[in-house]
Amino acid sequence: MEKTVAVVGTGQTNHGKRFDVSWPELVHEAVERALDETNLTMQDVDAIVCGSMPGMLEGTSDPHFWLTDGIGAYGKPVMRIATCGSTGMSVALTAFYHVASGLFDTVLAVGTEKQYEGSSQGVISQMGDPHLIRPFFPGAVAGFATQCVNYVSKYGLKMENVAEAAAMISVKCHSDALDNPYAHIKAKLTVDDVLKSRVICYPMRLWDCSPTSDGACAVVFASTKVAKEIAEEPAWVKGVGYAGDEQFYGDKDMVDWTACKTAVKRAYDMAGVMNPLKDLDVAELYNPFTYQELLWYELFGFCEKGRGIDVARNGVTTRRGDLPCDPSGGNLCTHPIGATGLIRVAEAANQVMGRAGNHQIPDAETALAHAMGGLMQFNGVMILGR
Amino acid sequence: MTVNEVAVVGFAQTKHRARIRNQSSSDLVYQVTREALDSCSLTAKDIGTLIESSSDYWEGTCCSDVVTMEAAGGYLKEESKVEDDGALAFIYGYLRIRSGLFDTALIVSQTHCSQSPPLPTLSNLSCDPFYQRPIGLEEQAAAALQMTAYMKKYGATEEDVAQVAVKNLGNAVNNPYAHRKVKTDIDRVIKSKVTAYPLRELTSSPTSDGACAVILASGKKAKQITDTPVWIKGIGHSVDDYFLGDRNLMENIGLRSAAKQAYKRASIDNPLKQLDVAEICEPYAHQELLWTEHLGLCGKGQGAKLLREGVTTMNGSLPVNPSGGVLSTNPYVARGLIRIAEASAQLMGKAGKRQVGDAETGLCHSVSGLGGQLHCVVVLGK
Amino acid sequence: MKSMANPESVLKKTIELPYTWAMGEPTAKFLEGLRNKKIFGTKCLKCKRVLVPARKFCPRCFVNTKEWIQVSDQGTLRTYTIVYYSYPGQVKPPPYAIGVVDLEGADTGFSHYVGGVDLSDPAKAAGKIRVGSKYRAVWSRKREGNIFDIEYFTLL
Repeated sequence: MEKTVAVVGTGQTNHGKRFDVSWPELVHEAVERALDETNLTMQDVDAIVCGSMPGMLEGTSDPHFWLTDGIGAYGKPVMRIATCGSTGMSVALTAFYHVASGLFDTVLAVGTEKQYEGSSQGVISQMGDPHLIRPFFPGAVAGFATQCVNYVSKYGLKMENVAEAAAMISVKCHSDALDNPYAHIKAKLTVDDVLKSRVICYPMRLWDCSPTSDGACAVVFASTKVAKEIAEEPAWVKGVGYAGDEQFYGDKDMVDWTACKTAVKRAYDMAGVMNPLKDLDVAELYNPFTYQELLWYELFGFCEKGRGIDVARNGVTTRRGDLPCDPSGGNLCTHPIGATGLIRVAEAANQVMGRAGNHQIPDAETALAHAMGGLMQFNGVMILGR
Repeated sequence: MTVNEVAVVGFAQTKHRARIRNQSSSDLVYQVTREALDSCSLTAKDIGTLIESSSDYWEGTCCSDVVTMEAAGGYLKEESKVEDDGALAFIYGYLRIRSGLFDTALIVSQTHCSQSPPLPTLSNLSCDPFYQRPIGLEEQAAAALQMTAYMKKYGATEEDVAQVAVKNLGNAVNNPYAHRKVKTDIDRVIKSKVTAYPLRELTSSPTSDGACAVILASGKKAKQITDTPVWIKGIGHSVDDYFLGDRNLMENIGLRSAAKQAYKRASIDNPLKQLDVAEICEPYAHQELLWTEHLGLCGKGQGAKLLREGVTTMNGSLPVNPSGGVLSTNPYVARGLIRIAEASAQLMGKAGKRQVGDAETGLCHSVSGLGGQLHCVVVLGK
Repeated sequence: MKSMANPESVLKKTIELPYTWAMGEPTAKFLEGLRNKKIFGTKCLKCKRVLVPARKFCPRCFVNTKEWIQVSDQGTLRTYTIVYYSYPGQVKPPPYAIGVVDLEGADTGFSHYVGGVDLSDPAKAAGKIRVGSKYRAVWSRKREGNIFDIEYFTLL
């Protein structure tokens, strides 16, 4: 699409265990950094979109009321968005539509979660139909573990090969996170370290799983009118797509996943991406679990179905490869859920704007951001470029 | 980018009740979605984007749209959810169509209050855990603080406030969808049970079970769909400070700012004259008086006078809440969207016994948060 | 003034909230079926799929389902996992296995526990649960019209 909406600046908290600040203070840290980077004040912001997962994660309902002061929203339009794991992406999309509507020139998107303050799996397990689904949904790990087992069997793969490829992704992400000052978990690991870590939920091992984090992310979206005044090289929104499907796992193909393919196709078509491996320079994929990154390689068209392992092995998606994936370390290393999708957008935008610091991919011109959520339902994609 | 005109082309609501048995939240969503589609002869396929509005705490569900999305025909659609008032979801749907990327949008909102912990429990949990929560502030208590201050500052009486309830609960008698409806009088209202002093049972809203759906379309599409499109003339929304003590409860910056934005976009400079009907969100009776002031329908402290003079009654020049308002019907998160459906019904001439004569321009208002922290204003026109 | 406050001060509290969820008629009827050892689906006349568990409308076609159809209590295991972690409010203590079974006569999969296997050692347990093999429902002796009227699915 033509240049109508751009990301012009971002701010992230130092993600991790943040008992040193209250929730509004945490959010404020991200907003301040975004304002600093853009040289804007709240006076310049026309509207705010904020989001977090269910308030039960922090034991507070409708937390945007409490967070208002931390965001700096006084006297301004505010809208709270929540779409489960894809919340951060939905916040970005909402900010995008605010600007695209022509009613707002500068919109601040804020995503946050403070997961050390509550019981993440205790809350997330309260998802879906309470009579038929919840007894068999002990949280996100188990849900996506069934997806992994299904992946292995659908394509006739060997579990040990998939586990090894997944371990390589874990090694890649945790090492890349060392160059990301905001990342939560950073480590030099070996494939063996990952394969020998304890099983959390078969077949997922400790190092296959993301942490729960405290964190916030703020992203400033701007119209054509003001974008160039705020940033020399804005990251223009080239394409967007979002789709969800049914709540029952049994209703759908969890591997050749229609909702994901639909969202990807919408974004690719809008951005004119024909050959993703060639047309994209970097991708921030939503990878709370290592195995899923293999699946994304396939569903995003980086390789054929069932061949994700090859991509992990041949290094295409490492920082020196043709299409680096999650050079920030991804959500495998940093996962304040309501912020995670927005962090993907911020990281992708930073790559395009040349502001990714030590994990900058040289000459990145087109970047993809992705988030996912629900009972294997929602997928959102945003493509940013020069 | 082309900026489209956007119109309401269809809507539906449930018959709201204290308790709707045997229907799940999804069932309510499915019902209003089907009926809204039928109301303008569309199918789920014709809908470009879906914006839901519901609350995880009210639903008792982590991520409520996970369950209800398919009931709103959302399979593989560009969906999103506003975790707050339905009027905000409506505004979001409007923005999406204005972007030129969609021609139609479905907005759905529901709350099944009877299934959930009571409102004071949930609204207390919306407070910070350190200051306002431990001392038991919740929506009703906060509104009561506000009413006390209002009466003190402007010399309004309990009778003035009771008059709002008499008007709205009486109007509700004409509304087949309304939950609480009764022809009553000031005496009965001020003798009703005190809930949080000085608020009483009849000056506080009940909580209801119900849902509402509204369908939006871009200008060209709207004219193909219906002969009676209701155009969105202006929108505004804004938020006040968090701490009650930080705010001037008599001068709500959220509403002042929301109204200013909406009026500017709709070219309204004399709302009392230019508006023909208003659906104002008044979970507590005194708030209708206060909000009419902040909406610029009268001067500061003049809300009671406006009502006494009959301006806001069914036969007045600007009837407020011909539906009976939130005092009669309060499926919590859906109440803002119901204001929009009701005002649309008025402008389409489909409001039945509660129809006001020749309504050309209507105002919809909604509010959420303690003491009215976040407000939305939508101006609709023929 | 030097602050005496702990820089990482916290407040701890447990919140418990009561909910009462309406099932809607199809779910109530489906669970009543389980009491009688019967598993029902509903058929969408548009896409012709039999949806299990039974439901009011087809999520893809967005039309009401029409026919109630009893499906088999046996089917093929599509996928599974074994849970080894614990959290507050968990349905039962770990480890336990959850699977999706494609019941004969249904066009969708059904989620429930997979049982009859010693789960204490992940490596050994994984080999004993077989994707693609036939599984059957083990019915509870005491059935009360809820999802636990099926105790678990076991290898046929």
